[in-house]
Amino acid sequence: MLASVNQLLQIVAIGVLSIFRPPYRWKNYLREISFVGSESFLVVIICVSFAAIVTIIEASYHMTLVVQSDAMVPGFASLLIIRELGSVITALLIGSRVGAGWAAEVASMKISEQIDALKLLRIDPIKYLVSPKIVGSVLGTLLLGLAANIICLICAMFVTKLKLGYPMPTFISMTKLFVEVQDLVFASLKLMTFGFVVPIIACFYGFRAKSGAEGVGSATTQAVVSISVAIIFLDFVLSYVFSHFY
Amino acid sequence: MKNETKVGLLFLFTSILVVCFVYLLGSFDLFSKSKEIHLLYNFAGGIEVGSPVRAMGIKVGRVENIRFDADQKDARGEEVKLILTVSIHERAWDTIREDSRFFINLAGVIGEKYIEISPGSSTAKHLQDGGYYRGIDPPRIDQLISQSYSLAGKILELVENNEGDVVSIIQNIDRLVVNVNKALSLVTNSKAKSEDFADLIGNMAQISGDVASISGGLRSKEAKETVHLLYRLMWRLEDLDKEAIKKFFQEDGIKAKLF
Repeated sequence: MLASVNQLLQIVAIGVLSIFRPPYRWKNYLREISFVGSESFLVVIICVSFAAIVTIIEASYHMTLVVQSDAMVPGFASLLIIRELGSVITALLIGSRVGAGWAAEVASMKISEQIDALKLLRIDPIKYLVSPKIVGSVLGTLLLGLAANIICLICAMFVTKLKLGYPMPTFISMTKLFVEVQDLVFASLKLMTFGFVVPIIACFYGFRAKSGAEGVGSATTQAVVSISVAIIFLDFVLSYVFSHFY
Repeated sequence: MKNETKVGLLFLFTSILVVCFVYLLGSFDLFSKSKEIHLLYNFAGGIEVGSPVRAMGIKVGRVENIRFDADQKDARGEEVKLILTVSIHERAWDTIREDSRFFINLAGVIGEKYIEISPGSSTAKHLQDGGYYRGIDPPRIDQLISQSYSLAGKILELVENNEGDVVSIIQNIDRLVVNVNKALSLVTNSKAKSEDFADLIGNMAQISGDVASISGGLRSKEAKETVHLLYRLMWRLEDLDKEAIKKFFQEDGIKAKLF
């Protein structure tokens, strides 16, 4: 247990500090940002948009049921999307897609002794493997999450028009009433935190992989589960902390 | 496609979306020209930074800043401790004058607070950019309820302490109404013709007219001078020998002439 915590802290410390130490492998950074942000773009946008559509329809149903009016739905659905839905769903999807990929990659390198080969070549495996992933994940998740949040709102606006019958200017004015730039800033901080957690946990389980194909599979599964739990837990912690600033 | 291109496109796309979104939220406006004024209140009724400012019901600006100042005073010297800095779009600037009034209002089903500016008269001066103007404090609901409660308590106490008097007053009013009713029915059923009543009212109107004319005459310049002269005369006579005056008035003067 103590050894695991030590290894995790080592990955965090060396991984973060190595970002600021030469040599800077820009191509590796760009490759990871592209892997997280650009290549996950479509799947994240589709999932988040559908989540927004469901939120609008369900909120309208519940509001009509309780207060006989869904006039407030565009406003608080926008707030919910910006503060919670957009960031968490994006992070969970990235955690599943990218986290699984990274855990499998590092685990394969571990069982095929490529990590040992890196050590022989006097290359720090954490600096070489983890640091680019941290940069790629933080920036990629931030860019993708912000885009997903706003596209999600655009989808919500169309659904509000088509399903609830409120014109688009009404949606915009309600959004302006509820949402502030502060919400977007807090959403960005959440996205960056989630983005930081994904490569740390993925690489941690990758480095601990046991030999054989079964070891890779097991490391990947554990990584995805841990990433999902960590994102949900961190979302609670961050929401609680940010609630003091509202 | 190269990784550089992919990342660049993602960055560009996200940046455009974020800028458009923040612009839409109205947090910054690149293309509008607005001026600022400071509104002074003692109670702002829950207004917040970002609350809209409307002139004649149309949004023309927003509350930019709220600050407290213990030493602030308005133009009449009244202490006003709350300063709201509001921006007003140039298109509405000309219609808002120094005699405009700045209300804090409530709108919508969720009670959104905003500042409503009534248009000033065209003869009044324009506002000064960065000037300080007194706003109209909204009524405090808690204070109104408290005052109503206190007033109701006092009325109740008054009634309880003077229960007998109150009953007596009500009974007297009741009797008065009955008597007035009887008097009116007597007038209605009397044999006197309606012309007589009309004459009576006509005469009364004439008398009151005459009295008004006399009293109006008394207020004239000549009448005032006469009264003043009489007054002075009385004072001058005061110093004379009372016996001599008496003799003059009673024996040699008025009385001698009359009899």
